[in-house]
Amino acid sequence: MKRLIAMGLLLALVLVGVGVSQAQTTRIVVYSALPDLETTMVNREFTKRTGISVEALSVAAAGTIAARIRAEKDKPRADIFTGGSRDFHIPLAREGLLLAYKSPAFAEAKVSPVYIDPDGFWHGWYLGALAIIINTDRWDREMVPRRVPKPATWDDFLRPEFRGHFIMPSPITTGGGYIFTAAQIFRLGEDRAWAYLRALNANASQFTPTAPGTITLLARGEGIVGMQWAHEGIGARLAGMQPLETIVPPDTGFEVGAVSIIKGGPNPEGAKAYVDFLASRTPQDINAKFGYRYPVRADVPVPMGATRFEDLKFVKYDLAWAIDNMTRVRERWTREIGR
Amino acid sequence: MVFEPVAVIRWGEVRRHAGDPGVALAFAGAAVMLGLFVLYPAFRVLVYPALQDYLEIPRSLRWMQAARNSLVMMVISTLTATLAGLIFAFAVTRPDVPGRRFFRSIAVLPIFAPPFMVAFAYILMFGRQGLITKTVLGLDANIFGWHGLWLVQTVAFFPLAMLIIVGVLEGINPSMEHAARNLGADEWAVVRTVSLALARPGIAGAALVVAISVLADFGNAVVIAGGFPLLATEAWFRMEGLADLKGAALVVAMLIVPTVCLFLLERYWVSRRVYTTVTGRGSRVERPPTHPVLKWGTFLFCCLMSVMIGLVYFGVVAGSLTAVWGRDWTVSLAHWRLAMDRIPTLLASVKIGAMAGVITGVVGVAVAFLTSRRLPLRQVLDFLAVLPGALPGVFVGVGFVLAFNRPPLELVGTPWILALALAFWHLPMGYQAAVATLKQVERSIEEAATNLGASGLRVLWDIYVPLLRRAFLGAFTVSFIRSVTNVSIVVFLVTPGNIVATFAILNMIGNGIWGGAAALTTMLLLITFASVGVAQAVVGRTLRSMPMG
Repeated sequence: MKRLIAMGLLLALVLVGVGVSQAQTTRIVVYSALPDLETTMVNREFTKRTGISVEALSVAAAGTIAARIRAEKDKPRADIFTGGSRDFHIPLAREGLLLAYKSPAFAEAKVSPVYIDPDGFWHGWYLGALAIIINTDRWDREMVPRRVPKPATWDDFLRPEFRGHFIMPSPITTGGGYIFTAAQIFRLGEDRAWAYLRALNANASQFTPTAPGTITLLARGEGIVGMQWAHEGIGARLAGMQPLETIVPPDTGFEVGAVSIIKGGPNPEGAKAYVDFLASRTPQDINAKFGYRYPVRADVPVPMGATRFEDLKFVKYDLAWAIDNMTRVRERWTREIGR
Repeated sequence: MVFEPVAVIRWGEVRRHAGDPGVALAFAGAAVMLGLFVLYPAFRVLVYPALQDYLEIPRSLRWMQAARNSLVMMVISTLTATLAGLIFAFAVTRPDVPGRRFFRSIAVLPIFAPPFMVAFAYILMFGRQGLITKTVLGLDANIFGWHGLWLVQTVAFFPLAMLIIVGVLEGINPSMEHAARNLGADEWAVVRTVSLALARPGIAGAALVVAISVLADFGNAVVIAGGFPLLATEAWFRMEGLADLKGAALVVAMLIVPTVCLFLLERYWVSRRVYTTVTGRGSRVERPPTHPVLKWGTFLFCCLMSVMIGLVYFGVVAGSLTAVWGRDWTVSLAHWRLAMDRIPTLLASVKIGAMAGVITGVVGVAVAFLTSRRLPLRQVLDFLAVLPGALPGVFVGVGFVLAFNRPPLELVGTPWILALALAFWHLPMGYQAAVATLKQVERSIEEAATNLGASGLRVLWDIYVPLLRRAFLGAFTVSFIRSVTNVSIVVFLVTPGNIVATFAILNMIGNGIWGGAAALTTMLLLITFASVGVAQAVVGRTLRSMPMG
């Protein structure tokens, strides 16, 4: 009898554990391509404002999140895809995986229509620019004595002194890596761009699977120069006291960090409320203060230590081409670079 | 596990059981479960790509490179880990090597650590910002890549080899060594021609188990291999980076060929050839003193390896308390505060680990009970129950995604998919523990009960359940600890509602939040060590391990 009771208790325990994790109705599921910290803070504010609780999975690699949404297309498990450049949201919209929603909140906030999809499939809520990041400790120790000038253009990455010391995020899994690759193609034309990328590969010590991974390795001196979003470099220097310098070169690429609603997700109404919320000041402010990303609202101050977005020099970035050729370019990267 | 030919079935007993609805039902139930959660996912992986896709593998440069790298890593890491395990085992089985008890307990530590922990700690210790390489020695060392992985896998897997070889060496009858000495052999010759010769099958078996673990190793590879492609990490990259289910299935299918071969080799060939049983054990002849060169040489080696293991734990704990690693060595609790936010992931780990432990325990004990009867087809059940030991974690992960991501059995997105994948992956350990316990049961007790008219289930409930409680606890504990620390399976199966601690840690490492990752790892370690302590108190021995994930 005692044994029966013990077994019954065990079973009850397991069942209770499972029961607790059952779904509630006032809940949305968010896939975030932003780092954990910003995601958590923004979601906390959203819950405070609307009473809708948020379950989030943040993997700082937009390609990975987009891959997940595709893999789950028969039965979407998330409502929201937030963060990551629009380059990753648009293909999903084309494949019919996103829900169109024209957010009145974005119109009210006077966000420039440049940053909003006319069909309402995605809304841009922050901006970022690609930059050269330098580990100043190692630079002063190893490059200054050899009189190497600080890199100021993308071509400077190919200097022989940087062999084995260059790091950037992978073009296969990250938005930053792909936008950089596409920017080289727009800058040099396809054939010369691949020659450039092969030469870059010879200098690279590694291509990190997530964007922040590049900053980590640079900050710890696993590399001397790297390519990453300017906001990541600035953030690591200001918030993390890391020895990093950020230089935005000409012909840079930029991201329009977007949010979109996944079609067929468990809670579309909650998802719409989330999109509206991102147009408000609080989340953009959090993102500028803690993530150092540019807001799309004019009334939110530019992140500390950043040049005004309008003053940066961008490459002629053909968004449609970049999206149409995304799969092909990534496949070619896998074939020719192989890592 | 003694493998008996089917011809020896005692038909009387079969009839008796066949007429017993309880046993017949249990048999059918176990067969269905093993089929559904072991065979079916494996089958789904293998048939997901078309034949054409398989034929195109040799044309993919990257995959061939990954396959080559995986095999090379397997060979070199297995060699060094087995050799280190052998030297270590030799030292701790000699009564006159100082500190042998200490060495033995410190060497099993890596078995309870999360699989990426060695790699993570060694980046902190030997990377460019490494405490030892940079701060102490002033070197500029790059640990990322194959050489770092080799070092890490050697330290991570030698305990596995050591545990197996210790068992073999302890089985060697010292009188054999005495006989050799009486015939005039010197110490070297004794070690070479008797001890090592007798231990050879055991060493081969240890090497095979280590080789499977190295091939399947995902956690260390993903943290430290850098840009070095390997099959285990490539599978995840395909799935995560490109949502390429077919590619992921192809890669893990490539991985399964060598692991299954090694597994069959170990199970049906090497373990048959253990010489030590010929002479038996338990002889009371005292071992003569070990040759001083051997004694102190192995002692020094054990010290070195102990330091390497100590660094793993020291690195993680220190990393969690240091303000900015490599730059600002002041003590800070900020990382712990950050890790406190992740407590829900720890709770999810414990919940899923407990679910997996219960399933492993119940199924393991039930299947062991069934295979101990002389039923037809019991070898099939036995084989299915040990088969997961041959499957790499990434294979199981991909298999469960493919098998259960759509109706009728849609488990993706629930904690059950994690619990079931982990439970059945750890089944061999629970099952083998239960088999060993059942072997000790006196058949006559059961026969007495049957003669008094008890049904099969009644016998199970009244006689076996009390006896198998320890086996169940052992199975539960091993499955729980390994599920809580698992990475290779969970990375494929986590969903927003079920984020487990190891996944959160891996994310933090990837995003450069190393202090927070170290603090969360420390918390996870506290949980695993607490459960090891409880298990040791209850079960009283460490169970033999299987491939890590």
